[in-house]
Amino acid sequence: MARILTSRRAALTPLLLLLPAIATMLFVVALPLVFSLWTSFTPYRLTRPDTLYDVIGLRNYIRLMSDAAFWVAFGRTVLFLAIALNVEFLLGLGIALLINRITWGQRGLRTIMMFPMMFSPILVGFQFKFIFNDNIGILNNALQSLGLTDQAIPWLVDARLAMFSIIFAEVWMSTSVFAILLLAGLFAMPRDPLEAAKVDGCNAWQVFRHIMLPFLMPFAFIAMTIRSLDVARAYDIVAVMTGGGPAGRTELLWTLIARVGYDNARMGQANAMAYVSTLLSVLFTWYFFRKLVAARRYMGGAQ
Amino acid sequence: MKRTYGLALGAALAGLAGAASADATWGDFPGTTLRVKLIGGAQYEPLYAEIPKWEAATGARVEIISRKNHFELDREIKQDIAARTLDWCVGSNHTSFAPQYGDIYIDLREVVPEEVLAGFVPLVLEHSTVGGRLVQLPRHSDVSNLYFIRSLFENEDNKARFKAQYGYDLAPPETWAQVKDMAMFFANPPAFYGFQFVGKDEAVNGRFYEMLVAEGGQMFTEGWEPAFNSDAGVRALQFFVDLYQAKAVPAGVPNYLWDDTGLGFASGSVALNLDWGGWSAFFNDPANSKVAGDVGLVRAPKGSAGIRTGWSGSHTFSITETCPSKAAAASFVTFLTDYERQMIEARRGLLPTRTQVWEDAKAEFAASGNDFMLHVFSTFQASMAEDAFTPILIPEWIEISNIMWPKIQAAILGDMTAREALDAAAKEVRELMEDAGYL
Repeated sequence: MARILTSRRAALTPLLLLLPAIATMLFVVALPLVFSLWTSFTPYRLTRPDTLYDVIGLRNYIRLMSDAAFWVAFGRTVLFLAIALNVEFLLGLGIALLINRITWGQRGLRTIMMFPMMFSPILVGFQFKFIFNDNIGILNNALQSLGLTDQAIPWLVDARLAMFSIIFAEVWMSTSVFAILLLAGLFAMPRDPLEAAKVDGCNAWQVFRHIMLPFLMPFAFIAMTIRSLDVARAYDIVAVMTGGGPAGRTELLWTLIARVGYDNARMGQANAMAYVSTLLSVLFTWYFFRKLVAARRYMGGAQ
Repeated sequence: MKRTYGLALGAALAGLAGAASADATWGDFPGTTLRVKLIGGAQYEPLYAEIPKWEAATGARVEIISRKNHFELDREIKQDIAARTLDWCVGSNHTSFAPQYGDIYIDLREVVPEEVLAGFVPLVLEHSTVGGRLVQLPRHSDVSNLYFIRSLFENEDNKARFKAQYGYDLAPPETWAQVKDMAMFFANPPAFYGFQFVGKDEAVNGRFYEMLVAEGGQMFTEGWEPAFNSDAGVRALQFFVDLYQAKAVPAGVPNYLWDDTGLGFASGSVALNLDWGGWSAFFNDPANSKVAGDVGLVRAPKGSAGIRTGWSGSHTFSITETCPSKAAAASFVTFLTDYERQMIEARRGLLPTRTQVWEDAKAEFAASGNDFMLHVFSTFQASMAEDAFTPILIPEWIEISNIMWPKIQAAILGDMTAREALDAAAKEVRELMEDAGYL
């Protein structure tokens, strides 16, 4: 009998130890999630707290389905994500390969490479807002001084240039995430297959394409998962540089949601938008995890 | 209960009715701590340096728990309303924002004596009233007039070329049609521009709104149907579109806010600039401005309806209903808006809300030989008295603005025609007004 009690107590111990963590998670994550989900079924306005109790069913979601501005912002966010992630991956890979090759000053370079990550996104936004300013910006002044143009190029106004400028800022800040993870992959890479390939007469491209890249892909997919979550909720840089404008040309999901939720005080509608938007993050995470599993399986086979 | 506060404070503030308040007693509130949320920024800070004087006089303490720009403060206040955490007493407010906040602020007529209120410009107090309640005490006002670089208008070559091109004399403009001609005449992008305007957020909608009024249009009919997509509306919006398309304004104006236009004019790269009085001292200060000593100012021009633009608002202070020490809070906001404090702000070019301060500030500028500031104050006093009008004081104004400004930008950038942009905005604004129960 005593033995049964002891074993039951032993079984309960992990649960007891986990209880504070579970309680914190429930309070910090689950409760706000449930609350915001509830508000998405109400016409909740920040300035009229009583509206929290008026249930309007799926009205916010139904309205969203025909809201062209929302779907344009949704599509633009997907495009923004796709471009930013691919450019960051390619640049990060290039930087990692270059740093991997040098033998002197590597540590110093690795530290310098991480500098952009250390800045707050708001500061990065301000930095690039001034660089790309059409009138007093460094870029236009440099281009005009070098005689490359006599125009004030509207970097933050023209639809394509404005998106380019924002993507540039995002890439500048976060390429090092890819570079560091891929560099870690390169450090962890066994030397034997590389040497064997060389003995078999493979050229540098073949070694890279068939041995290094498959080995690095799991690291790349981990970086992509992390960054896709980051980029899908991009707000700070865009809010500072363009505020989603002009004329909604750089409107992403979260600049739109913040405006609806805070400036217009329509938190119920904003939360409905936010729930639909999280689908995007879930979709990308699911996609990258599938790719990660596939890449690891491939790597295992290759080994 | 509220009446009791009023009586107590009435006695405490008895000395305030006159212009000078050197002998005023601000009441006695030892041990009281006032938690306040104030608008921050270079223009607003000098007033806060006066707060220790009030603390010394009353024995109370002021704890500034937030100091942000108005847009951020607005978000914070909305979150406080939602979370029911209005645990502060005094907040900066603005006539454009106030209608949104429902009944969180008290009617100041119940705590501020009538003699004190009599010192304020009646029109400004009227603009500070929402639903019959005086929810805010005005600190300084805001209306825009037209600054220009004087030497450009005095240059004989410019005069001759302008006359030849446009058929009338080059002189400080009296109408917006003339502003358009002159802006295009002076523009030489990217080195120099004829004009500029704030191009986003509520700011560009405010500029459109005042132009709409100047063109003889209106935002809504009597029955709250959107009416801004009229011919007058199209003319108003077309003014901005034409200037942008002609490159007479900087290409970046759709991202410009107040600081950008002010600093742009001070940089000497813009001929004409519609801006508020708070910039005047800055524009004429050689340490900050390349156009110092060369700044002209005229009243905001007229639209085709013969009406001057005059979008106006006031920065104000409000007291929350939840404030446990309303008498101390009333003393505090009265102190911040009293004669002496307004004189301090007026000397820096901020437009006072007290009748006497207008006159005395002008007399002070005249006595010290500061003709520029004397001219500035005379010009702004005239426009505050004759031209100023507020946005429509309904809770939905900011939300209406958020529908309007992306459409206005779309027209300016050429994504839509002025008519299409206004029609699209009218459709959305109509839905909003339906939801809000106006239609």
